[in-house]
Order: sequence, then C-alpha cells, then structure tokens
Amino acid sequence: MKIHRKNYLLFVFILFSIALKAQPGPGKQAMEIALPSLSGDTLKLSSLKGKVVLLDFWASWCGPCRFSNKKLVKLYSKYKSQGFEIYSVSIDDSRGDWKKAIQKDKITWIQVNDAGGWDARTAITWNITGIPTSYLINKEGKLVGMDLEGKDLEEAVKDLLGK
Amino acid sequence: MKKIIFLFVLAVITSTLQAQFSRATLQASGLTCAMCSKAVKVALEKVPFVQEVKVDIKNQQYNLVFKEGNNVDFDALSKAVEDAGFSVASFKATGNFSHVKAAKDSHAEVAGLNLHFLNGNDENLVGERTITIVDKNFLSAKEFKKYASTSKHACVQTGKADGCCTKEGIAANTRVYHVII
Repeated sequence: MKIHRKNYLLFVFILFSIALKAQPGPGKQAMEIALPSLSGDTLKLSSLKGKVVLLDFWASWCGPCRFSNKKLVKLYSKYKSQGFEIYSVSIDDSRGDWKKAIQKDKITWIQVNDAGGWDARTAITWNITGIPTSYLINKEGKLVGMDLEGKDLEEAVKDLLGK
Repeated sequence: MKKIIFLFVLAVITSTLQAQFSRATLQASGLTCAMCSKAVKVALEKVPFVQEVKVDIKNQQYNLVFKEGNNVDFDALSKAVEDAGFSVASFKATGNFSHVKAAKDSHAEVAGLNLHFLNGNDENLVGERTITIVDKNFLSAKEFKKYASTSKHACVQTGKADGCCTKEGIAANTRVYHVII
C-alpha cells in the first residue's frame, strides 16, 4: 500500500509538471506580466482588469507580426473607447528596432519589451513557440481565446465587451 | 619507452583536437518565416554535439557553437532543421585546418569528415578557416544547381564518394561533403 501511495504521488507530480509546461489554456487566470514600456515605466498586465485585453507577443523582425499590427490598428481604434485594450510584448533585443517599428506601424496601444528573443523570460513563462501569438483576456483577467484573427477576433471582442 | 609512447599518444590527441570544427552559421528557410518560430532553435539545440545556438536576427541566421572534443556531423544539423519543418538555405562551418590543400576537386579529411573542394587556388589552409557546404539540403535548390553544374563529377549530385574520390582512397559511397572556400 505504501508503494502504491508513492506511485500515486509521483503520478500527481508528473501531471502537475506537465500542466506547468503546457501553454496557458482557456479559462485560466492570465499570468502576471510586468515589463517596461517605451518611456521606461513598468506596466502591469493586471492593471488592465475591467477591460477586454488582447495580449500580443511579437517582434519587429517578424513579418507576419507586422502584418497583424496593421489590422490591429483598425480594430483598436474601433473598440478602444468601449474598453478594449492591447498589451503587446515585444521580444526584440534592440530597443531601437522596437521603437522604429512602433512608429512605422502607428501603434498607440500599450507596448512593453522583454529583450532576449526566444530566451526572454516572459516568452518562456508563457511557453511561446512562435510569433505572432496572442491571447484574448476577459474583464476578469481570464484567458478566453488564443490566436484569434480577423472577423473571429472582432466578434469575440464585441461579445466580451457586452458582458 | 613509456615516455615515447606517452608523447606519441599526446601528439595524436592534440592533432585530432586541432582538426575540429568549432562553430557554424546556418540560415533556414521555409514557407513561413523561419525566425518567427522557435522550432529551428530548439531542434538544433537537441543535436548532441551542439553546445549553443544563438539567433542572430540582424543576419537572419543561427550561430552555432560545437562542443569541444566531439566530431561533428553536418547532416544531423540539416536533418534537425528539416524535422522542424524548414530547410537549410546556407551553411558555413569554421574549423582549424592543419595544412590542407584547397584546389578544384582536391580532397581532404578534416575532423573525421571527407571534404571535396569545388574551388581553391591550390591554397594551403592553415589555422582557422570557414568553408561553405554546397551539398543538397545545405542550400536552396537553385543554388545547388549552380554549384553542381561547375563539376562533372557524379559525387556532387549524390554527396557520396564516386570515381574521383575513390581514386584518392576514399571508399565508394562514403559521405563526402562538397565545399567551397
């Protein structure tokens, strides 16, 4: 019986480690992110509670991310006043490149930087394996969607804003 | 006598240590943005003789450092990139050469690998030098054709020892890397 119990504990431990490694899933509370913005002030993801938030991982050198930025600019201007916010985490090593991309893409939403590319701490914590990767977060700070684009994203944002 | 044997062993060890590839640069390409995925980096890190993989965004390449004292296997790197869903678009390896003659269609064994030079001005390679591998799976199909057309030898197409290589004592069908310097 003792051995049995040990095995059981091991099993639970393994399950737990798998859960820790897995990508954050829907229904879970968004893990805290606190990173410096362009001005250098630290901006917390949790400070946006009460808003519908799109958490977006990107980098200036990522072509598909830049393409997505163009679409997000439109979405943001449309729903910003209703309580929609975007929290973009760049994994750029170069602050200069990051800044240039923000200006060029005309981004006015929250931008923070975690230098280090794939080794950036936030990228590891959130188990980011490709960019762009985005999460939709509801007013209670819970993850409700991942990698939504275009119409699907807009519908989800509209829906969450109305709740 | 013991001393002589010891010195001999030491000499053999140091000479094999010297003839080593220490690092490489690799570019990957695919249908989607290769740098936007962590897959290539992770796959390369899993190759046993790879010590470190750094993503070099500016040059759009991966900078690899090999473990000391290990013979490297370039094909394993190409396979790792392919298994990650991408292909190698450029591969340059840097190693220590001790008096290797580089001339068109000259052969050399360096760090346990058979090299077949597709160019070179009869240069005597000494010390740290960088070679570019131009075998299939190490560059784009278009570029491979370009290099393959510069040689009449069948081994350039297959990457396996053929007529010109076996003449120099390399067993037929042994893996031969075609390189330019």
